[in-house]
Amino acid sequence: MNASPFATMNRRQLLQLAALVGGAGALAACGGPAVGEAGGAATDTATDWAAVTPAKEITWWSNHPGTSKDIESEIIKRFTAESGIKVNLVTAGANYDEVAQKFQAATGSSNIPDLVIASDVWWFRYMINGQILPLEQLAKHLEFGTEDFNTTLYNDYEFSGSHWAVPYARSTPLFYYSKAVWEKAGLPDRAPKTWTEFDEWAPKIQSAGGVTPLGLGKGTSWTAWWFCNMLWGAGGAYSKDWTMTLDTPEAIDAAKYLQTIIYDNKSAAVTSNDQVADFGAGLTGCTIASTGSLSGILGSAKFEVGTGFLPEGAAGPACPTGGTGLAIPAGKSPEQQLAAGMFLKFLTNAENTAYFSSNTGYMPVRTSALEGETMKAVYAKTPQFRTAVDQLAGTRVQDWGRVFVPNGDKDLTTALEKIMLQKGDPAEAFATASASITKSYEENVKPYL
Amino acid sequence: MAQLAITAGGAGPAHRDGPSRADEAPVPQRKRRTPWKSWLLFLAFAGPNVALLVIFTYKPLLQSLQYSLLQWNIGSATARFVGLDNYTGWFTDPATANVVRVTVIFTVATVAGGMVLGLSLALLLNRKLRGTGLARTMVVAPYVLSGVAVGLLWLFVFDPNFGVLGAVLKGIGLGSPDWYNDPAWALPMIIVVYLWKNVGYVALIYLAALQAVPRDLVEAATLDGAGPFASFRNVVLPLLGPTTFFLSVTTLLSSLQSFDIIQAMTKGGPLQGTTTMMYQIYQEGFATGRAGYSSAIATVLFVVLLVITAVQMLFIQKKVHY
Repeated sequence: MNASPFATMNRRQLLQLAALVGGAGALAACGGPAVGEAGGAATDTATDWAAVTPAKEITWWSNHPGTSKDIESEIIKRFTAESGIKVNLVTAGANYDEVAQKFQAATGSSNIPDLVIASDVWWFRYMINGQILPLEQLAKHLEFGTEDFNTTLYNDYEFSGSHWAVPYARSTPLFYYSKAVWEKAGLPDRAPKTWTEFDEWAPKIQSAGGVTPLGLGKGTSWTAWWFCNMLWGAGGAYSKDWTMTLDTPEAIDAAKYLQTIIYDNKSAAVTSNDQVADFGAGLTGCTIASTGSLSGILGSAKFEVGTGFLPEGAAGPACPTGGTGLAIPAGKSPEQQLAAGMFLKFLTNAENTAYFSSNTGYMPVRTSALEGETMKAVYAKTPQFRTAVDQLAGTRVQDWGRVFVPNGDKDLTTALEKIMLQKGDPAEAFATASASITKSYEENVKPYL
Repeated sequence: MAQLAITAGGAGPAHRDGPSRADEAPVPQRKRRTPWKSWLLFLAFAGPNVALLVIFTYKPLLQSLQYSLLQWNIGSATARFVGLDNYTGWFTDPATANVVRVTVIFTVATVAGGMVLGLSLALLLNRKLRGTGLARTMVVAPYVLSGVAVGLLWLFVFDPNFGVLGAVLKGIGLGSPDWYNDPAWALPMIIVVYLWKNVGYVALIYLAALQAVPRDLVEAATLDGAGPFASFRNVVLPLLGPTTFFLSVTTLLSSLQSFDIIQAMTKGGPLQGTTTMMYQIYQEGFATGRAGYSSAIATVLFVVLLVITAVQMLFIQKKVHY
């Protein structure tokens, strides 16, 4: 065996090694965050926007929600023709999380975009990190009409009296059912109005269709989202502001109901892989999926698909919103920010909102776009889309414990999977998640508010 | 070896090898200074590599150590110094025991399983049979494929509703395990896929080592009455010692750093049932955004790897060289 190379090192080699390590140490000290300095959200500094000339070229990071690259490119083409500003559309990831990871990693470098996708679970983190600009002053200067945005969708991005993003590709969960199975079971052509009604219908679906009545999805960014329906419908919530409220009888009841339909009634099953694929293949009679999946489901299913509102619970209807908005990074020059603001205004005007929604299946985020000619044509062609739009009126802003705390969604998903997949004790699973989310809030959010 | 020496005058060629003449006065020997041109040459060749190592290996390593002492939300321009809080947080987190358990099971199964399977395959491929060349190619092929592609491919195979495996099991009257929803099955699934992808590498290295085993030693053992198993056990296996040692180090390191297959197939789920330390580093750093906490786990993993490798070098290496 050879002796250790360190044992035979002479003084000079030792000095060279020390210099190497020292040099690396000095390099390590470069870059990274400023330690000990006050952080937090960017402030709406008094930029004299009237004195700023917009930049001639900006960059937009998107994941092209709903395979919308061509749609986005077309809107960019129209904007460039109108304003002379060039927009570089960059595919910054396959989904919201990937774009967010790249944006987080690029912050502090010169490679950040001028406009970025900001999903419901990410914009708040951008905000407390000081990465995005509050939009009020810029919107005022640009006469960017925000009062026409759907109130719930626009207020999703409000914190500390400012709006930090505007809605773009927004969605809600939707109830999908197979009309063929429904007909066989002798059920009316509509979704069950309440979960109690679903319980009454489930045995008929099971015996007539020979399928699992309801397919449920799993995984992060999904499970804790659709469960809002059962939780809020039972009168519970993940949190009230920053205080976790999963120990309430209503929250526990919602989780127990979930276990009842899976384990006792066997009227629901958690998918192995993808509940949308299971539904499309006829393995389940109905499912809950995003409105963004509407076009895909209608295209792939070999049977007629019906859509309906999510069933109501004892406390009434309950539906969360999701999807993504768009934000302007704080670290760019006023010229870049102004040009990005101009593009944002153009991208989300009534005409382009309708154009984007009609081609992707996402919600029209402006109320004026809802009843425009473009959307009317969509409703006539695809009546199922109308259900999704109508459900929007009954949506509510999500609980902060899920969307604003860094590991909120992950911890809630773990708790819900324990409840769904292992018949775990709801009180225990929720207590573990609540403790972890509260700790994360205190460490990762509270100091920056 | 004789040392290079210069005469008192300083110039002239150095005397090489051979005893000094007895009548010559002993010349005090000192090292010749390396000419600056040699230094420049050294810098020209080694400099770029050293610079790359410093920038892309040592700098991130040291920065990670620095970040592990901070509460830092990735993307934020500021951070707070929290001392060892991230370390105590990880060691006292109830989820850590599960992550360590998954990491240990995954590593032991993939390293030990890979070595046994790889050696078995190498022994088969070492035989002179028809089609051996094709078989060798087929065994090694998965190793060169992308981990993500392999993961996505196997997702279809394991799918309980639509997968080939489910259909085969159904054909023999068995139901498919719930690979994706049951943590007790998800981890074996990941291990199987990892082995399928990487066993070719082990087989390839063992095959090369088997072909270097001197035939006369095996023949001598046979003449002494050793059967095939005894000959393998007492002659071939000890000769494969250095290869086994090399593979144990490299496969252990790559197993502990495995990421792509987990990301493509389970994303650490269900119920964190396939979350290894490496995957947790990614999750905490990028999905959750706790860069300081993630760096602390990375440091712990680094220390674990360092200790294991040092132990292997110090204790095992001694026993395998011949």
